[in-house]
Amino acid sequence: MFRGAFSIWGRDLLVLRRSILSELISVVAYPLTLYLAFGFGLRGYITDVEGVPYSLFIAPGLISMTAVNAAFDESAWSMWFHRRVQRTIEEYRVTPVTVYDIVIGKIFSGFSQGAIKGAVVFLVIMLLTPFRIDYSHLPIYLLCIAISSMTFSCVGTICGTVIDKPENIGRMQSVVIVPLIFMAGIFFPLSSYPPAVLPFIKLLPTTAIFEGSRDALLSGFVPGYYLVNLVLSAALCFAIAVFTFNRKMAE
Amino acid sequence: MPHAITLNDITKAYGDFKAVDRFSLEVERGTVFGLLGPNGAGKTTLIKILTTLMRPTLGDAFVEGFSVLAQGKAVRRVIGVVPQENNLDRYLTARENLILHGRLHGMSPSAYNPRIDELLELTGLASRQRDFPDTFSGGMQRRLVVARALVHEPRVLFLDEPTTGLDPQSRRALWEYIRGLRRKMTVFLTTHYMDEADALCDRIMIMDHGVSLADGTAAQLKDAFSRAHVYEVEFRGDSAGHEARLSALPFVRSVVRNGTTFNITLAGEDSIKPLMDHLVGAEIRRICLKEPTLEDVFISLTGEKVRE
Repeated sequence: MFRGAFSIWGRDLLVLRRSILSELISVVAYPLTLYLAFGFGLRGYITDVEGVPYSLFIAPGLISMTAVNAAFDESAWSMWFHRRVQRTIEEYRVTPVTVYDIVIGKIFSGFSQGAIKGAVVFLVIMLLTPFRIDYSHLPIYLLCIAISSMTFSCVGTICGTVIDKPENIGRMQSVVIVPLIFMAGIFFPLSSYPPAVLPFIKLLPTTAIFEGSRDALLSGFVPGYYLVNLVLSAALCFAIAVFTFNRKMAE
Repeated sequence: MPHAITLNDITKAYGDFKAVDRFSLEVERGTVFGLLGPNGAGKTTLIKILTTLMRPTLGDAFVEGFSVLAQGKAVRRVIGVVPQENNLDRYLTARENLILHGRLHGMSPSAYNPRIDELLELTGLASRQRDFPDTFSGGMQRRLVVARALVHEPRVLFLDEPTTGLDPQSRRALWEYIRGLRRKMTVFLTTHYMDEADALCDRIMIMDHGVSLADGTAAQLKDAFSRAHVYEVEFRGDSAGHEARLSALPFVRSVVRNGTTFNITLAGEDSIKPLMDHLVGAEIRRICLKEPTLEDVFISLTGEKVRE
């Protein structure tokens, strides 16, 4: 079962292995810059947020952001490239693999990239800054990141499937993905929102991702409604990704 | 002889436009079948239906007895496909491209490794197996795509315009290779090149606008066309006036002028004498019966107008 998915996943990991160093340097640079700029630059102005030191407050979000961004990027660009440029999707489709194999293989790849890149950013922040965690919180945090990466990987797969022009994938990131990430309280507490807006913000899957993973990493506990939101978002996005891919291929 | 491919009244429609219209065909096992047609004739649509990349609007097709509608996975197990474009993975080496294909077919390393060694030797790519396809010439990439389609030893091989864009040497090399596959598997080939169809195919079908126009061996098609009696007449000096006069003759089917030379298609054998009578007094440099080529058959059936 899913032999085709594992073959496609294995291919993507082989390609990643070849370019891992350059990939990691570019991936680590962005969140690390944000961490140094906000964590250190604003240290004199914001000492803590709801009792948590500011540099500690933003670290889980930056790690999670790296992971989900990497998952989205890998799935969206890989799907687009294989479909529109290399046309290797067509080669996969004349072998006995199913549509599920292709979508799941690509989602696994996005998830793996997210996990590897998130872990590296985590290690680099640990190495270069005083950021420390209780390691007993790690399993629940990793669970949050795994489900979140899966969601973003599915969203990336959908974008890579339906978007034909590469610039539109960039626009999708700028107009939808980045605002959703930044609105979810990576750099500020959700309590900053007006009370009328807050319930809607809490419904965003990105809020569940970033708030949930922060709670997981700092307290070892994820509120149930965030966990439900994470699982439902991942399931819904997976169903849409499979449906969209199937439909696109039938065109 | 059992059939490797059967198409039953296949129609593929896009709104009112029919890319393929009630197309039926049976291809015998172990033969090389060539489908010829101009751009937009429906050749690639048929290959996409047969390789399960596209579903027909009406009808069903069978490959090695498996329905493309109901048994797509079983169809894909027994086919190899060489698409029009070289859809190789440029981030994998030549060998890794073949390995991935073997894995997608569920082959184990002990099954695919010797087969890949054999195919790399056969296609002359063994010394370049660790290189990336981007560093290959067009001919080498094409050979690699053919090798990839053969890793799992398919029973039916689909080749969609396999030599388009290749230099003459690479074309000849690929022809040799395809000839070598004859009898080992069924080959379904589409091409624009008449010499290719002539050299490779046991049976040729010419199609246009989604329907079959002619079907037979290259010799049969040429023979059928030769009954049309095409004469090549070359005049001395100014020959402009001859075109209209020749076209007006009741026994002349068509006149194609190329400078001072005219290709005149007559209605039948008994039209030769009246033509000669008409030409008496004209300054003729040369007159000969034109042996038809497969290209003449093709042009006569599909027209000379350039397709988009």
